[in-house]
Amino acid sequence: MTQKGLRFYLRIYGKILAQDLKSKMSYRADFIISTIGMICTNIAGFISFWILFSRFPSINGWGYYEILFLYGFSLVSLTPVQCFFDNNWSLRQYVYSGDFIKYCFRPINLFFYFQSEVFDVKGLGQLAFGLGTLIYAWVKLGLGFSVLMILKMIVFLLTASLIMIALQNAAAATCFWIQNSFYVLDLVMRFKDYAKYPITIFNSVFRFIFTFVIPIAFIAYYPSLVILRPDAVPVLSWISPVIGLVFFWLSYRFWMFGALKYSGTGS
Amino acid sequence: MNLKKYLTLTRAGIIEALQFRLSFLILVAGNLLYLIVTYFLWKAIYASVETDTVNGMTFTDTLIYLVLATALYGFLEMYLVWEIGRNIQSGKIVLDLLKPMPYRRYLFWSYSGSFVTQFFFTFLPTFIVVSVVTHGAIPLGINLIWFAVSVVLAVVINFSIDYIIGTVCLYTESIWGINIIKQVVVLLLSGATIPLAFFPDNLRTVVHFLPFQSIYNAPLSLLLHANPDWQTVCSTLGLQLFWAAALTLISAAFWNRSLRQITVNGG
Repeated sequence: MTQKGLRFYLRIYGKILAQDLKSKMSYRADFIISTIGMICTNIAGFISFWILFSRFPSINGWGYYEILFLYGFSLVSLTPVQCFFDNNWSLRQYVYSGDFIKYCFRPINLFFYFQSEVFDVKGLGQLAFGLGTLIYAWVKLGLGFSVLMILKMIVFLLTASLIMIALQNAAAATCFWIQNSFYVLDLVMRFKDYAKYPITIFNSVFRFIFTFVIPIAFIAYYPSLVILRPDAVPVLSWISPVIGLVFFWLSYRFWMFGALKYSGTGS
Repeated sequence: MNLKKYLTLTRAGIIEALQFRLSFLILVAGNLLYLIVTYFLWKAIYASVETDTVNGMTFTDTLIYLVLATALYGFLEMYLVWEIGRNIQSGKIVLDLLKPMPYRRYLFWSYSGSFVTQFFFTFLPTFIVVSVVTHGAIPLGINLIWFAVSVVLAVVINFSIDYIIGTVCLYTESIWGINIIKQVVVLLLSGATIPLAFFPDNLRTVVHFLPFQSIYNAPLSLLLHANPDWQTVCSTLGLQLFWAAALTLISAAFWNRSLRQITVNGG
């Protein structure tokens, strides 16, 4: 694979994105209904917490607005995986039918080309709702406001988003070995629902699992502590950007390992 | 009614379901993880109140309720909207309509096989495990019979709702969006995510008049009460019976009306 500059890839991404959006616009009803569906899912999550907190004062010492902050954080950090990596869901069909071979013959990065083909617009609805929830909780908690905090937020949100991307890449790539990776993907998708709870509710065994094995605690819990509880930030929060990058890199290698051993279906 | 031809479909469904053993294992793993998260989450929630009982539900009650709701979900989720939607898009529906039995019945009986496998491989093991883990907190008496009757009615109600939503796909060409909206509404308003007992009073009154609570809340409430009075049993089952009949009629009428609309591209 020859090295090509970032600008080259950005230009290509723009072109492919434009094509994808054009084809999406021909199914306008589907686009609108899907966006409404996405927002419905997010609202349901919001309502669940509202119902819970109408009966219970806190979860493990976490108040209503703190939990909403976590929820908003998780929604925003889960947006990139929804928007940019949605083609992972189709990977198993391409591999199964043999169409995957077309990606192998392009003079650009295989992983990049495959993922760039689909941009999922409905993720933007989630982004808007997540940002709204985050700002609402932020204001209600009176967290204050400074440029440094915003910078921290951006860095931590971006790196947190890599965790779910990594998990999904790895789950999708299992289809290079097993036929139907839908159940693996579906299982991993369920993890993102658990990201919105503080990790402290679990006992030490599951705290370890959700931190190092299935690192969902890095999607919202650890990075939010930097903003939410700035007086007692654990080391794991500070290294969460590194964890994000490491897991993303590992999943990329795994995905490419599967893709490069792919031998087509012979048709 | 010649039952034999329907039971053939049931048998085919069982054989089909048994083919996918790996996906089944992953499904079990996913459910197990969900149970663990639910357990710790509600333990933390109950730890925040001084009393053992909140709105008539103890921690054990809530756990049994939610765990069995998940087991029921595996039972009730038939991906019917996807099936109908895909068949419409691919044109396969034309072949199904030509089959020597009504489409509705054909769909129901093709899924009946997965009811059998889900019952023996998911619901029964979960039920036994929960029963043992909670030291027999599930009363084993006449309530089991009411529960069984109630589940059958829940299956009919859920099937009809899915069928109505699937019919909507004839008009919208959107499957993902329609299905996710349905799923969110059903899971939240049926009490599958949070037991209805915890809903704020006015919301609970509204939800009581909707058909969704008959799917999860009705059977699970009947199960959790050792000796329910006749009035409760009759009103719960009566309401379910009403919704089962009403939704069956509505879904059948809506389908028959919409069928005239159908446009199939090729096939």
